[in-house]
Amino acid sequence: MAIWVIADKCTGCGLCVKACPYGAMQVQDKLAALGPRCTQCGACLEACKFEALGSDLADEPRPDLSGYRGVWVFCEVQDGALARVSLELLGQGARLAAELGQTLATVLLGEDVEGLVPELAAQGADRVYLAQDAGLAAYSTLAYTRVLSELIATHRPNILLLGATPLGRDLAPRLSRRLDLGLTADCTELAIDPVDGGLWQTRPAFGGNVMATIVTPTARPQMATVRPGVMALGPRRDGAQAEVVRHPVRLEPGDLLVRLLASQAQGQRPVDLGAARVIVAGGRGCGGPQGMELLAQLAQALGGELGGTRVAVEEGWLGQARQIGQTGVTVRPDLYIACGISGAIQHRAGCLGARYIVAINRDRRAPIFSVADYALAGDMFKIVPAMLAALKGAA
Amino acid sequence: MAPRSDPQKLLRQVMARFVREEVAPVARQVDESGRFPRELFVKLAQMHAFGLRYPVKNGGAGGNATLYCIMCEELAQGLLSLAAIAAKQCLMATNFLHRFADQEMRQRYFLPALRGELVGSFCLTEPEAGGDLGRVSTTAVKDGDGWVVSGMKTWITNAPVADFFTVLCQTDPEQGIRGLNFFFVPRGTPGVQVSPGFQTLGTRSTEISEVAFNDCRIPARFLLGQEGKGLGALLAILAEIRAMTAALALGLAKAAYQAGFQYAKERSAFGKTINQYQLIQSKIARLATDIWAAELMLYDTTAKIDAGQRPSKESMMVKYFATEVACRACDEATRILGAYGYSMEYPVQRYFRDARFLLYGGGTHEVLQTNIARELGF
Amino acid sequence: MPGQPDSPLCVAVLVKQVPDSAEIKMDPRTGTLIREGVPAVMNPDDRLGLETALALKDSLGALVTALSMGPIQAVDVLSEALAMGADRGVLLSDRNFAGADTWATSFTLGRALERLMSQGPLDLVICGRQASDGDTAQIGPQVAEHLGWPQVTYVERLEVEGRELRAWRRLPGLVQKVLCPLPAVVTVLATPQAPRWPLVDRLLWACREAAPLEVWDAADIEAPAARTGLKGSLTRVVKTFSPKGQRVTQWLEGTAAEQSQALLAELRGHKLI
Repeated sequence: MAIWVIADKCTGCGLCVKACPYGAMQVQDKLAALGPRCTQCGACLEACKFEALGSDLADEPRPDLSGYRGVWVFCEVQDGALARVSLELLGQGARLAAELGQTLATVLLGEDVEGLVPELAAQGADRVYLAQDAGLAAYSTLAYTRVLSELIATHRPNILLLGATPLGRDLAPRLSRRLDLGLTADCTELAIDPVDGGLWQTRPAFGGNVMATIVTPTARPQMATVRPGVMALGPRRDGAQAEVVRHPVRLEPGDLLVRLLASQAQGQRPVDLGAARVIVAGGRGCGGPQGMELLAQLAQALGGELGGTRVAVEEGWLGQARQIGQTGVTVRPDLYIACGISGAIQHRAGCLGARYIVAINRDRRAPIFSVADYALAGDMFKIVPAMLAALKGAA
Repeated sequence: MAPRSDPQKLLRQVMARFVREEVAPVARQVDESGRFPRELFVKLAQMHAFGLRYPVKNGGAGGNATLYCIMCEELAQGLLSLAAIAAKQCLMATNFLHRFADQEMRQRYFLPALRGELVGSFCLTEPEAGGDLGRVSTTAVKDGDGWVVSGMKTWITNAPVADFFTVLCQTDPEQGIRGLNFFFVPRGTPGVQVSPGFQTLGTRSTEISEVAFNDCRIPARFLLGQEGKGLGALLAILAEIRAMTAALALGLAKAAYQAGFQYAKERSAFGKTINQYQLIQSKIARLATDIWAAELMLYDTTAKIDAGQRPSKESMMVKYFATEVACRACDEATRILGAYGYSMEYPVQRYFRDARFLLYGGGTHEVLQTNIARELGF
Repeated sequence: MPGQPDSPLCVAVLVKQVPDSAEIKMDPRTGTLIREGVPAVMNPDDRLGLETALALKDSLGALVTALSMGPIQAVDVLSEALAMGADRGVLLSDRNFAGADTWATSFTLGRALERLMSQGPLDLVICGRQASDGDTAQIGPQVAEHLGWPQVTYVERLEVEGRELRAWRRLPGLVQKVLCPLPAVVTVLATPQAPRWPLVDRLLWACREAAPLEVWDAADIEAPAARTGLKGSLTRVVKTFSPKGQRVTQWLEGTAAEQSQALLAELRGHKLI
């Protein structure tokens, strides 16, 4: 197996360099050249417009996957209620199911959770696979893996979606390995391949600097965890009915090896900017602790976290754990609001993974604006209070 | 054989990360405090960094001059005073103990110094004797079964925090430089008097002061090396001391260059970033070229040292050249940064001040140039 | 035998070499990531895994083996692991392993762990939560499933007593304390003490021929080509693109009140608030 460059045809255009997910392709002396990092994934073959890449990679025979039907969403239950991410997945699952002409089903596990079925139906589920047992009352990796793998083996779904929550990211890989399924983590976009009906799973890679679209060609169901807060809810169908399929649960001692001894809410929970969905960050332009306090109010109003630049931390306006950038943490929230930050490369490198970047700065030429989706040239001490007032008025 | 990592690359990587994570965040604060950076010093000791160039069997890491200079260069990119302190602890402060101390001294002083529990210091310069060692006037006089050390040393790095001193003394003024010998004097010896630290332009957290030895009585075994062989013992490490100084200069030059390079890419003036102006490009191109040259010279010199040679001329050349490059890089970096180069908030001003330290340590450039010319047979 | 009082706890730590995220640079014109020349370093979470294992070595005298899969150059992360205090390093390197997704990677690592167990006891496998270049957090649970061992993820503190481990799991707004029998797989996201620095003397020792470093290939771990590397992967990357290319800066002008109204309207439009 190999990929090679056909020198006569190669124009050195560099399309293959851009396409290579592994940074293995380079242009040297106006010719493409493969480096040792090549994994023969074939991404360059598709990118080349000049038929300048040869390969003997054979197309693998594809198994018949037509027996796998239906889109499944795993339901996460928190304190007796459905987790928001599960509702988002139902919304997205319904769209995928409609496109495929298949049904949308949910998997509901717990001790006494049947009362949630009407809500699942209202959120678009055609069918609910229900497994109830005292051993499922609290999440346990092994018990949940057993029940889910039994359900999948019995009912053979086409797609299985889980929230990219701590629970989903604990359960999904375990399940994928037990059933030999492909799994894509932390997707931000899902779509159906119009040609073969496969699931296009798009996720950020390299700290959000690259987006990758991934498929699972040979195994079913196609599994993905989906980042919370990304998918839109579907329309409510109040009064809708869902078929309930009860699954008998028989847990074995080996499924309950890990015992929960204690669970303690963290009053003063450690700052985890990496997990924050919204971050309001301040830099030199904050001028001092008062400016930072203003941003803390905005962060609170938006349900987000406060962060800052190296300067802000060195000045003592913020704790070290809130420093964003090369020497601090790299963040990838959905929304990043940079206030009074000029945007040195060290800082930009830490926040570029954000889905949306808002920059508020007095200097119209500040480099932060070059990476912003929304640019507000102006005084943060006027704009931020205006935002706070508007948010308060709306609440 | 299974593949092995390149120790030079790995050491450089670890030290660069140490600088990024441990030194850079506190560099400004340490510099402004003007105090010996004890915490960072201990962290380096806990990494066993001070034994880098000593053999494994003697409690070291089994490194060589090249590895030692790589470490100095990387540390200098974060904070020159820390780099200078570490460099001294690895070499001048402990080297004579390493070569000449008896077992008891080794246990009591040498190994604790490698562990960072004791700080060593090296006393060469006197008020009236800098580069001209023939004029050293601190004396050591035989007295019964010991020696009595008397005299005044100045510009002694780490003296205010030192636990012991390696002191260059004249034992026989008739003999001139052949009467020079090194003596070990613990801080607690009656008669040792350390002045308050000097106020200096740069490397502020390197505490420097005078040390007076007022008839300090020490036992015979505190003579480090054979009597009359002191100068030879110094010459054995002189090339490495100069290479080390060049490594500090190279690290500082790289830090200044990086600061200027980054700023030039980001700062806009008259509608484009200033790296698009030829006058800025010229500065960057010249500095990059100079730094490359200094790097080649430095590691060529250390390779010679590691091959067992004493590249006296090369070590003087690279010390002189790399330091001039560092001074130029710091000057240019402050110019590229414009007024920000003048602001105490940016590290570039510290590089600029710290660079001057390198002009004197390891010999002034006026003396060095004369000596280079002499070695060329001129 | 493991578990007897006089036999040391045997721990394997999985470490990965990743591009240094602190050294990533952007192409100032295109805004895309420049990957060439970015140095390769130990994955930050794996450093936490090593620290966790080495703390067990300090307190219980555990024997720590660092295990990595990657190209030959990845030996550097194992040298660094030895320099931090690991007792042995094993690199899984084979052309067949390249291009693996997490399924194929966990298969390969699982086979290597099985080979380790054929040579001696193994009580605990520790991984970092996730790799900074992939962020999937899948390898730990997948390796646990390969071995058929229980898993404890998101651990910030770990104690081993006899044949049981006690772990503190850090979840959003919550810390769970769990008890799990050995053998087990643990993924860590924090440590009580900052990860220790490599020791300079051990670092140089790790670069010498006598260092306890081995390279295993596909034949050594009896890993069939069809289950490793790209061939054994169940997922395929079909397209990569730069999200930055799509970022179009939109200027919101006017008075502060107008700007703030416009911004909030946009954010609501994208369901960001």
